[in-house]
Amino acid sequence: MASARYSDLQLDALRELANVGSGTAGTALSSLLGRPVDISVPNAAALDLADAVDAAGAAEDVVWAVVVSVGGDLEATALLVVSERDAEAIGALLGVDPDTDDGRSALEEVGNILVASYVGALGSMTGFVLDLRPPASAHDMLGAVVATVIAARSDGRDVAIMLDSELRIERDAIALSFMLLPTLEGVDELLGLGG
Amino acid sequence: MVAELATLSATEIVVRMGEIAVSHAPGDVLVSVGLGSCIGLALVCRRRRACGLAHVMLPESGGRDALDRPGKYADQAVPALLAGVGLLGARPATLDAIVVGGAQMFSGATGMEIGARNEAAVRASLAQAGVTVTAAATAGALGRTIRVHVADGTVTVREAGSQEVTLR
Repeated sequence: MASARYSDLQLDALRELANVGSGTAGTALSSLLGRPVDISVPNAAALDLADAVDAAGAAEDVVWAVVVSVGGDLEATALLVVSERDAEAIGALLGVDPDTDDGRSALEEVGNILVASYVGALGSMTGFVLDLRPPASAHDMLGAVVATVIAARSDGRDVAIMLDSELRIERDAIALSFMLLPTLEGVDELLGLGG
Repeated sequence: MVAELATLSATEIVVRMGEIAVSHAPGDVLVSVGLGSCIGLALVCRRRRACGLAHVMLPESGGRDALDRPGKYADQAVPALLAGVGLLGARPATLDAIVVGGAQMFSGATGMEIGARNEAAVRASLAQAGVTVTAAATAGALGRTIRVHVADGTVTVREAGSQEVTLR
């Protein structure tokens, strides 16, 4: 079992961190778009790499994705994924079209703000000093996006830890999927095993 | 482990990240969905003995043993796939290699630019084994899906937002 290394208690602790992080991100999204935002209970799972790609959703669906690398005391990659329809809806709220350069940077900025809020909350809880690299984006197959992030961050390991939450804007039926993929060293840091 | 799949019914066999499949069953279609920086390496025997597909994730094993993920590293995936189709009677000199994927998915420097390195490592391993690359759909910024039809050795690629194109 891929999850043998992590106990349910440890995954619960990660889920709680994700809960606070996504709550803070939801508040930031709400003030950005001027809409109430609902936040799902996050999942935390230790998955075989190929299973982690499957868990993200239908691999061939074309989505908008924003990726932000997190460095400092915790190495992680944050990934924000929205469907094409929802990207257009978010663009409409911000007055931009995602298929233009302006629209793309607006989406990247939304991703950046969400990641900064989420990671800021993690930093406050843990006392870690964390920094963000500039966001990058892709308009592509979901599986290709997630697999690329996982491959680049796997560091030769066979297990990925995925913390994912969903942010929903009920009024406009918009759903944003937020994933944090810490390195395994990062997970140990979060769980206080890093010393 | 290399899975030898020999059913007669038409079946799509999904080859996920790090996996390998070989087949000589005419009904089988080997498929890797959503290749980004990963490489889908197809081997097709011109004598119709077998086809194989590896979903390669990283360029070099650096001595690490991927155990149950023979397709994970290019330097291990190519020999493993050759051994797999070899068991079904296909020799390196009779094989066409088709290389798909290796995209750079994200704009800007993200530290995720492994697509080109994956492609170079797969091509180097193939050259070492004396296998010719006869077609490729690589690099660029788009995700791809590869399908290998065992019945006639047809290989197709579909890029995000496009129609399927025949490579072989």
